[in-house]
Amino acid sequence: MTAQHTRTHSIDVSSVLQAQKKNDEPLEPCIKVENLNLFYAQKQALHNVSMEMPKKKVTAYIGPSGCGKSTLLRCINRMNDLVDNVTIEGKVLLHDENIYDKAVNVAALRRRVGMVFQKPNPFPKSIFENVTYGLRIQGINDKRILEETVENSLRGAALWDEVKDRLNDNALGLSGGQQQRLVIARAIAIEPEVLLLDEPASALDPISTLKIEELINELKEKYTIVIVTHNMQQAARVSDFTAFMYMGELIEMGTTSELFTNPRKKQTEDYITGRYG
Amino acid sequence: MSEINTPIKQPHSIKISSGEYYQRWRLVKDAIARYAVVAGGLGVIVAVVMIFFYLLYVVYPLFISASTKPVSDYAVPEQALGKTLLLEMEEQNEVAARFTDSGHVVFFDVATGKTLLTEAVAIPEGAHITSFAQGSPINQGAVIYGLDDGRAIVVKHQYKVTYPNDVRAITPSLKYPLGEQPLLIDDGGAALQKIAVKVGDDSSTIVATTADTEQGAGKIRLVNVQKEQALFADEATLTRTDAVLEQSAANIATILIDKDESNLYLISNDGQLSYFDINNKTNPSLKQQQNVVDAEQTITSVAFLNGDLSLMIGDSSGLVSQWSKVRDASNRPAMQKIRSFKVSDKAVVSINAEQRRKGFMTTDAEGVVGIYHSTAEREMVKDRVSTALPTAAVLSPRANALLLQAADDTLHFWRIDNEHPEVSVKSLWQKVWYESYPKPDYIWQSSSASNDFEPKYSLTPLVFGTLKGAFYAMLVAIPLALMGAIYTAYFMAPTMRQYVKPVIEIMGALPTVILGFLAGLWLAPFMEEHLAGLFTMLMLVPVGVMLFAFVWQFVPKSLTQQLAEGWDAALLIPVILFSGWFAFQVSVPLEALLFNGSLRDWFKAEWGIGYDQRNAMVVGVAMGFAVIPTIFSIAEDAIFSVPKHLTVGSLALGATTWQTMIRVVLLTASPGIFSAIMIGFGRAVGETMIVLMATGNTPVMDLSVFQGMRTLAANIAVEMPESEVDGTHYRVLFLAALVLFMFTFVFNTLAEIIRQRLREKYSSL
Repeated sequence: MTAQHTRTHSIDVSSVLQAQKKNDEPLEPCIKVENLNLFYAQKQALHNVSMEMPKKKVTAYIGPSGCGKSTLLRCINRMNDLVDNVTIEGKVLLHDENIYDKAVNVAALRRRVGMVFQKPNPFPKSIFENVTYGLRIQGINDKRILEETVENSLRGAALWDEVKDRLNDNALGLSGGQQQRLVIARAIAIEPEVLLLDEPASALDPISTLKIEELINELKEKYTIVIVTHNMQQAARVSDFTAFMYMGELIEMGTTSELFTNPRKKQTEDYITGRYG
Repeated sequence: MSEINTPIKQPHSIKISSGEYYQRWRLVKDAIARYAVVAGGLGVIVAVVMIFFYLLYVVYPLFISASTKPVSDYAVPEQALGKTLLLEMEEQNEVAARFTDSGHVVFFDVATGKTLLTEAVAIPEGAHITSFAQGSPINQGAVIYGLDDGRAIVVKHQYKVTYPNDVRAITPSLKYPLGEQPLLIDDGGAALQKIAVKVGDDSSTIVATTADTEQGAGKIRLVNVQKEQALFADEATLTRTDAVLEQSAANIATILIDKDESNLYLISNDGQLSYFDINNKTNPSLKQQQNVVDAEQTITSVAFLNGDLSLMIGDSSGLVSQWSKVRDASNRPAMQKIRSFKVSDKAVVSINAEQRRKGFMTTDAEGVVGIYHSTAEREMVKDRVSTALPTAAVLSPRANALLLQAADDTLHFWRIDNEHPEVSVKSLWQKVWYESYPKPDYIWQSSSASNDFEPKYSLTPLVFGTLKGAFYAMLVAIPLALMGAIYTAYFMAPTMRQYVKPVIEIMGALPTVILGFLAGLWLAPFMEEHLAGLFTMLMLVPVGVMLFAFVWQFVPKSLTQQLAEGWDAALLIPVILFSGWFAFQVSVPLEALLFNGSLRDWFKAEWGIGYDQRNAMVVGVAMGFAVIPTIFSIAEDAIFSVPKHLTVGSLALGATTWQTMIRVVLLTASPGIFSAIMIGFGRAVGETMIVLMATGNTPVMDLSVFQGMRTLAANIAVEMPESEVDGTHYRVLFLAALVLFMFTFVFNTLAEIIRQRLREKYSSL
């Protein structure tokens, strides 16, 4: 896969979006964030954020370090619950259900909203056990189902051909890029609706990055993807929609082509033209 | 740089110029540090290796065999005075005595054969010697002559050691412990054909067979003489009792009386052993009659082993078997063969027992001398001393020299070097049939007040005790320490962890002598008293905790949220205290109701389980307490340092906290947890003070939680002060130390290898 190819691909994306615009089909929202405020102890990290993320599209969060884009991402599967002294106000709706409702089972929510982190974090187990982890914790131990899932997920994460002969090897023996794709395979093995990617390629070399980006393009056929990235080119290449955040506030959100070619806000323009950040 | 005027000079060359003192000094410091670290590390290794080799050096002599060395050969002195009946040697191996069939005793220099003194025994005119025997016990130096007129005379040879001009001088002499007048044994005046005597300060016993006369067949007579010393008078009065044994005197070859004068053994020519109980001197009773050699073999030599508890019976096939009095199935004492030694292919000519150990010397018909140890079942040395048939042999009292007379009238004087015959691999690790024991067993019993004692050096019960103590300690420590570590590292609020962890680690700094002291003097009696309460507590506390957790769900949120997250565990403290207290309260009526008032007695009556106050349960708790901080601290660190991204990754896949803990955290922390358990185990194995004070130090092999034990470490601590330096006991204790050392060494090495493997597997996280 070459850079040439990727570029063509991103052009394809924008053309698809334009096609949709022309048809004027309303995009079905998958996740809605409503008036979200988040405090780390006394310090407010998110200020009244509201946005919608459409189904089976890639939404990218960009912005300078510390702007709250990762925090916002973590709100979508309640990973912020794990941090001490966090207070969250407002709503995050997944298919019109508020995930911060008291009755919500957090483990079930996270099963539906998978997440991939910046640093590849395979478990110190075999490749096979890594991919089936999500199934096993749900009590699925049928060997046939597990094997099927492993193959499908690894194929889905474009890793199958590289590891099919050593599924029982320790996952820690894989390269960084392979590990990250394994983690993606692990995430999609439980067939979530949403996939949250927190700077998934920032710890990888350029070729691995390319593979991940290519993978994202394939994955959005099935999943709603939200990606946080430092890399504006990456956002431009892989996403359909982009949200620019600054100092805990959502400054601007729109289709990727629009935001990058014709930003409405000056802050956005300053950022994407590299004047700060 | 120049504008801010820094003092740092830019070196122009990578080689040091002479003026750059600082650069040079830096390198010197680096070199010093490197050598110091290397020296320190090597020092540690050298120290450990030296400890190992020192232990080995002390232990090694236990396993080398004995050696013999000829000193001198010379002609039998004063051959004109008759044939040798018995050879004797005194303690310093300087003077020997030859008892002749003419009633003379020839004392001569052991090394040269030069006659020192010749004494005639006071045998009355006209009487002839018909029998002769060495008295029992052999270290008393008594012999008895049986005469043809039915009388017998007892003589003792003794040696006075003086130091004129600081040179040792040994003066031999004869003494008549029962008076110079012969004792009349057979009032019919029949010749005494076989005879035996036991000579003591207060009581002496003589047993003799008489020849057939016109009056009738020969008899076996038993005479006991009680000497009563008047308090203020010099003279002693002798009281005499007589008895006749109900057995034919014919065929009796050897008579043996043990040193307690309670057992009499008659051995006949055809291999029959008759064992009499002679505690009642007027009415000896036959207890057992048994054939002691194989068919077609004859008994050629018999001797008591030191202590007179075993008979060593040598036969014509070269086999020496040890017979000891053992209680049989109906709890009656009976002679039983407990082991045998194949000493030669030829007949055994003589058996001489060592006087201070359970060793013995044999000579065979070809002049080959063998030295053996019965308990250890070791052949220490075998050597041909003479080419001619041996006619008499003696082992010196210290068992470090032997004198052998051969048929060619030559005496052979040899030195023996045989320091530690008592120990063999079998006697250390396998079941050994000790004298008077009903069956082979593992026993550690290293010393007693008596010289006749058979030391029992089985390390098996000690190793067993060590492992048992460690096992029960780990049984208490592992669940508590690991659960504590998991909770503290994974669930506890960070602020609470800040207090909990140091507190538990401080527990580890508690001197174990205090723990042992508390365990032995407070906990052990407490447990004995409140056994039922303790068991009730074990059941009720978990129930109480569960009940509390169940109720906790229904407590209104407004109330529960008052509590900072992770501090809910603190609420369990009063719950545990209360349920513990309640358990002890309720146990008293419960014990009265269900177990007739005492659980201990109930266990004894219903299950046959005895209760020792100092037992494995006490040790488990006390030593567990000592081990918990070690395991807790290392395991907690391991769990706490599981990378956050792994737990988060698991949670993000929809795992619950518990699933994440079990499937990811514990797995990843497993090398650390494993190493925590191993280090804790090593600590428990080597622990001394607690087991010393709380186990009762009984070297029994019983897995029961209510029984005590003795560990290798405690055994060394208990017995080392009383053992003689370089003695067998001392060396065996060093061997115990070596075993402990090897044990921890092998265990730690194994643990380290496994840990490294695990770590490799879970590395690069």
